[in-house]
Amino acid sequence: MPFDLIQGSTFAGDIDGVIWLVAVLTGFWFLAAEGIFFWLIWRFRAKPGQKSQYLVGKEKHVKRWITIPHALVLVCDVFIIIGAVRVWYDVKQRLPEADSTIRIIGQQWAWTFQHPGADNELDTADDIFTVEDLHIEVEKTYHFRLESRDVLHNFSVPIFRLKQDAVPGRSITGWFHATQAGEYDIQCAEICGIGHGIMAARIHIEDATTHAAWISSASAATTP
Amino acid sequence: MTSRLTALRRLSLPLMVVGAAACDATPPPVGMERGAELYETCVPCHGPNGAGKPEVEAPSIAGLPQWYVQEQLSGFQNGYRGDHAADLPGLRMRPMALSLTREGDIESVAQYVAQLTPVYPASTLHGNAGAGAASYQVCVACHGENGLGNPDLHAPPIVQLNDWYLVNQLRNFRSGVRGAKAGDVWGATMRANALALSDKAMEDVIAYVQTLR
Repeated sequence: MPFDLIQGSTFAGDIDGVIWLVAVLTGFWFLAAEGIFFWLIWRFRAKPGQKSQYLVGKEKHVKRWITIPHALVLVCDVFIIIGAVRVWYDVKQRLPEADSTIRIIGQQWAWTFQHPGADNELDTADDIFTVEDLHIEVEKTYHFRLESRDVLHNFSVPIFRLKQDAVPGRSITGWFHATQAGEYDIQCAEICGIGHGIMAARIHIEDATTHAAWISSASAATTP
Repeated sequence: MTSRLTALRRLSLPLMVVGAAACDATPPPVGMERGAELYETCVPCHGPNGAGKPEVEAPSIAGLPQWYVQEQLSGFQNGYRGDHAADLPGLRMRPMALSLTREGDIESVAQYVAQLTPVYPASTLHGNAGAGAASYQVCVACHGENGLGNPDLHAPPIVQLNDWYLVNQLRNFRSGVRGAKAGDVWGATMRANALALSDKAMEDVIAYVQTLR
C-alpha cells in the first residue's frame, strides 16, 4: 500500500483495493478525456484562412469518439461493481462468528464503550465501561453493537477502514478483526453538532497477555 | 512573457504578506476579550447570558466565581468530571473543556463567565424547604449559611444554580459518578456528604437552598 497507510483489519486491504480500482479506472479516463480534449483544441486551433464549422455529431467518424469510450467505461463499471459488491458483502452483509462482543455508544460528543469482563459475556455484572478508550485483542473477531443516545453519529476507525452510522433508536451490529497491535484513532464521521470535530477516542489493540491484564485491572465499578 | 513573469514575481511577496496577514489567526491576549471569544463556543448550550438550557441539561453558570469555573474546567480536562459512562451532560461538556488548549484560555473564559450577571432559575422540584433546613446544617460548614460558598474550602455558591442540576449532581456524588476519582479531594468531600441523602432529602435540602436567594 503506498503512502504508508496502516491496514489494521482483515478487510482494510480489500477496501483499499476497491478505492484504488475506482481511482485508477476513473483516473485513466479523466486523463484520457483531458488529453484528447486539449489535443483537439490544439489540432483544430485557429489558422489563417481556415473557417470554423459546426459539427452536428451524427456522423459515424464523430460519434465513435463518444460511443467507443462510453462502452469501455461501462465495461470498467462492471469491474468496479463486482469489486465493490464483493467487499460490501464481506464487510457489511457477512457476520463471521465472534470471539467477543462489545457495545459502542455515541452521544454528543463522546464515545462510551462497554466491554465484556472476564466472563466474555456482554450485559453481565462484570462489564467494563470506559469513556473514549476501546480495548480489544489483536487477531480476534469482534462483533459490535452500535447505538446513539441523541443524534446521528458515525463510528469510524481509519486503520480498519471501518465506518458505520449510529442511528438513535437502533442497535446496529457489525464486526471487525484487528490484525495489528497498537493505539490508534477513533473518530466521529458524521457531523453531529458543535463538538463533532473533537468527538475522538482511541482504540487500544493489545496482545492476549496485555488485554487479559487490562481486563483484570479495569474497574467494573463504572456501571451506568 | 519574461516581463510578465518578473512582474508576477515582484507581486508575489506583497501578495504573500497580505495573505499571511489575512490568515493571521493569532487570538487576542488572555483576559476578557479572549474570554468573550471563547465563550461563543459555550453559547449553544449555556446561552449568551449564561442562563443555561435545561433541555440539554446545561445549567446556569452566569456569575459563578472565576476560581470555581476554572477548577471545574480543569476537572473536566483532568478526568475528575465528565469521564463517566453514566454522566451524559458531563460527557457533552468534557470535549468542550478539552478544547481549551491554549495557555490562559481557562482563566479567560472563567473570567468572562464570572462577570455575567447571575440569573436565578425558577424552581422545578417540589421539595419541602422546612425539612431541608435541618439537612442543610451539614452543608453550612462549607457552603455557608447563605449558600454563597467558601473559596478556601473549594465550595461554590449554590443559590443561583438550577435545582434540577443540583439534584443531578447530588445523585452523581452519591453514585460515584462524581467525586470518586483518585485525586479529586474536594469532590470526595462532597461525595461523603451526599452518601447519606435519600432522593427525598436531596429535594428537600435543595428547596431550602432556593429560599436563601
